[in-house]
Amino acid sequence: MSEQPTVTLTIDGKALSAHKGTTVYQAATRAGIEIPIFCYHDRMPPLGACRMCLVKVEKQPKLQTSCTLEAADGMVVYTDTPEVKAGQEAILEFLLINHPLDCPICDKGGECPLQDQTYKFGPGRSRFVEAKRDFAKPVSLGPALVLDRERCILCWRCVRFGEIIAGDDALKGFERGFSSEINTPFTLPVQSKFIGNTIAICPVGALTAKSYRFISRPWDNRPVQSTCTLCGVGCAVEFDVRGERITRTRAREHPAVNDIWLCDLGFFGHAFVDHTDRLRRPLMRREGGFVETTWDEALSQIASRLGRTSGPRVAMLGGARLTNEDAYVATRFFRAVVGTPHLDHRVDARPQSPDLAVSWGMGTAIADLALADCVVLIGCDITETYPVLWLRMKQATERGATIIAVTPKALEIQRFVRWQFLHRSGQGGAVMLALADAVRGTAPREAPQGIDRTALAAAAKALGSASRPVVMIGRTALDAPDGWQMLAASGEMCRKTGTELNVMRGKGNAFGATAAGLLPDVAPGGRALADAASELRQAWGSLTTEAGMTAPEILDAAVAGGLDVLFVIGADLANDVPDRERWRAARARLPFLVVQDAFLTETAQMADVVLPALVAAEKDGTVTSIEGRVQRVRAAVSGPGDARGDWAILAALAARLGKTIAYSGWEEIFNEMRGLIPGLGIDERLPVRHPPLGKPSEPERPASAAGGFPLILIPGEALFDRGVLTSRSPTIADLAGEPWAMLHPDDAGTIDAADGEPVVITSARGSVAVRARISPVVLPGHVFLPRGYDAAPVNTLIDVNEPVTFVQVRALAPAAPS
Amino acid sequence: MLKGMAVTFRYLFRPPITVVYPEQKRPAVQPRFKGRHWLTLYEDGMERCVGCELCVIVCPSQAIYVKAAENTPEHQVSKGERYAEEFQINELRCIFCGLCEEACPTGAIVLGREYELAGYTRASMIYTKPMLTEPYPGSSGRDPGREI
Repeated sequence: MSEQPTVTLTIDGKALSAHKGTTVYQAATRAGIEIPIFCYHDRMPPLGACRMCLVKVEKQPKLQTSCTLEAADGMVVYTDTPEVKAGQEAILEFLLINHPLDCPICDKGGECPLQDQTYKFGPGRSRFVEAKRDFAKPVSLGPALVLDRERCILCWRCVRFGEIIAGDDALKGFERGFSSEINTPFTLPVQSKFIGNTIAICPVGALTAKSYRFISRPWDNRPVQSTCTLCGVGCAVEFDVRGERITRTRAREHPAVNDIWLCDLGFFGHAFVDHTDRLRRPLMRREGGFVETTWDEALSQIASRLGRTSGPRVAMLGGARLTNEDAYVATRFFRAVVGTPHLDHRVDARPQSPDLAVSWGMGTAIADLALADCVVLIGCDITETYPVLWLRMKQATERGATIIAVTPKALEIQRFVRWQFLHRSGQGGAVMLALADAVRGTAPREAPQGIDRTALAAAAKALGSASRPVVMIGRTALDAPDGWQMLAASGEMCRKTGTELNVMRGKGNAFGATAAGLLPDVAPGGRALADAASELRQAWGSLTTEAGMTAPEILDAAVAGGLDVLFVIGADLANDVPDRERWRAARARLPFLVVQDAFLTETAQMADVVLPALVAAEKDGTVTSIEGRVQRVRAAVSGPGDARGDWAILAALAARLGKTIAYSGWEEIFNEMRGLIPGLGIDERLPVRHPPLGKPSEPERPASAAGGFPLILIPGEALFDRGVLTSRSPTIADLAGEPWAMLHPDDAGTIDAADGEPVVITSARGSVAVRARISPVVLPGHVFLPRGYDAAPVNTLIDVNEPVTFVQVRALAPAAPS
Repeated sequence: MLKGMAVTFRYLFRPPITVVYPEQKRPAVQPRFKGRHWLTLYEDGMERCVGCELCVIVCPSQAIYVKAAENTPEHQVSKGERYAEEFQINELRCIFCGLCEEACPTGAIVLGREYELAGYTRASMIYTKPMLTEPYPGSSGRDPGREI
């Protein structure tokens, strides 16, 4: 960077040197000289719309906007002459012609750039006596956003955010001059996954959050710096707390993770924390129903049950909701106190799928995504699973990066995808093999029907010539009937292009659970159990170091009656496991089920003992993101009733079993973990274990449509759904709407389903009722059904013994008039 | 010294200025007297308070708590979008400085003339919104038709 030519200019008598191409505004800001501004935002290019940043430049007749004026050699700039002051005052007077003086009832009041700058630079009085612009207000723009058009100063930040940062064009400017206003381009509600950011960057109170409306004043809030745990990206957030309630979530700047942005799940998805449904006391089953009980009694019952059971007949599932410290203590509790190796956090993994053979997480740094010149998304719907990563990819596309997608459902971002290979279920592997062949330079195998061979060759050429390619494989590919093939071809492609495969899998703190050893075959830190045995014995005392069963195997064992006690910690197995029928069968044969969770989930409703646990926003500790970054979470609120932190529950249980797990707090656990997990440190990245690629694939069984079930089910992800937590965050539940499924117009035509109308999807296993969405983003013959809606669980339809789930869709039309 | 004693003797034979409170009470306090708070109403009965919390932030003894909420067409409490769902003043903490009245953008909160604010418990001295709101427009002694 040092070779970049610099220019020297003088601002307010200070001689400054700046890189050529920087604006006067940027140079002044860097030198600590304040120039008021509204439209410019440092993550977006200059615009020059608000005219607030006027400066006087020698030898130029008029005042200049410093945000668009490029610094030049020998330029002499003044920011505080009477002429500049008069200009600033005039602009503020103009802005306030129509801006209502309703600061007392405006949510922005107290943290409003317009308010602050008017006090600092404004004239103090207005000469305008005419009536102000009068719009109907407030205008609802969807479940999250409220628009007040009177307050808008037309700085275009929100519009440009949608164009430049998110690429979703969610908001646009309409009309001209006096009647200019911001609105959604086509329809309500506003279509965006990032609309919370426009609220954050709005310099006035024109865009405000529905969920924060009049809840609190900026000075009431106590900010608590923490990390979002709702997906795996680990965005830095700040919880604003008033009393014992999180009033809102804001993004905290973290250059390596989320920059200054968040997705709407992060902004509005933490409302579940103070939901009235939270568990407050331990529950025990008595005479078929639950009764509230004391911790003493609940723990005694579990301890006496565990005391009567041999270690290996106990198993533990779940853990993605835990902090690193919780997960570590859970590993210790089950391996050293209970003496069982059967623990696994990958409860949603499909048996025999490559899900269990690869290690989840990204080797590529999140910040490096913006520098990629070619991104390959294999069965990975990035905006639905890890939305903030898309903002980095969008930056890469601005720099000219190519995006290649292999997917059974068109991506929301397809406008930015150069080559999208929309394939039929079960043919993703063939597409990937052909692509890998083309990259390798060998003549591509026969491309599957419907896939353009020239496009395939062009995509392979772009990938082959890329110097910083990024390859991501997602759950849709790993769970596909030809998942092994897709994984092998992806691995081959990575080897050829000299990059690593990023396995975009796992929610919440799944990566921390992996690092802390909540896996049947690995010790904390991803080390082999045998290698770590002596160190673990030193820290924990006697323990079992054999390899245990994976999550699907644990369910199988339970179905076969091989388990006596199952612990479920922070997971809703009934909805998470790929096949609900198997979970039912397992539960039926399980003598004793303990559930440790924050809500009475469907799984908890079937438990014998339910222990109320705290959630991440109520705990101190660390979590690990998808790129392996370890970050702090801090207790924002203290939690409901008698709910306790997860590691404290397990430590109390250990005491009743005659073993001691004693820690003074999360720091002591973290320090102990540092001894066992190489590379562990706050804001450090843990290495992702590289997946052993090219595993022998399971025998592929030809899938054939059974009679009466003509369509293929594609289960997938949706960012906004209605699960245990999301259905209790009102904004997210509203954004998600009712359960839905996506149908191709041809298929919808044959069954007479109309868009938005209810349909019933039936498989040989069961059926769900959803609303039809009709769109060609899925191919004919396929139905896309998002996971995560507890009212329409995909896993009631799926039989994991069948590679493909065939379904029929019927419209629930009103009876035809006779 | 004689001069000083003369003043003393002069006052010795005048009627006393002090009153024997509470047996005797003065007829009225000054109009500028700052006594208990009232949340005033407009003439039409609408609440003046919009729940802006400016009194909360200006209060030097942190005696005020306000929780705002949104007006709906079915439940229009004040003019505009926002009203105070909860309003509490801890009269034990209050130093009757009147800054809340000065800060109020709608003239909702005023300090009245009532000064007999004793209570038997601390809890009874936390005045809630029903206690603070004037029973009918103008009952606090302020003109309900005033602008601010």
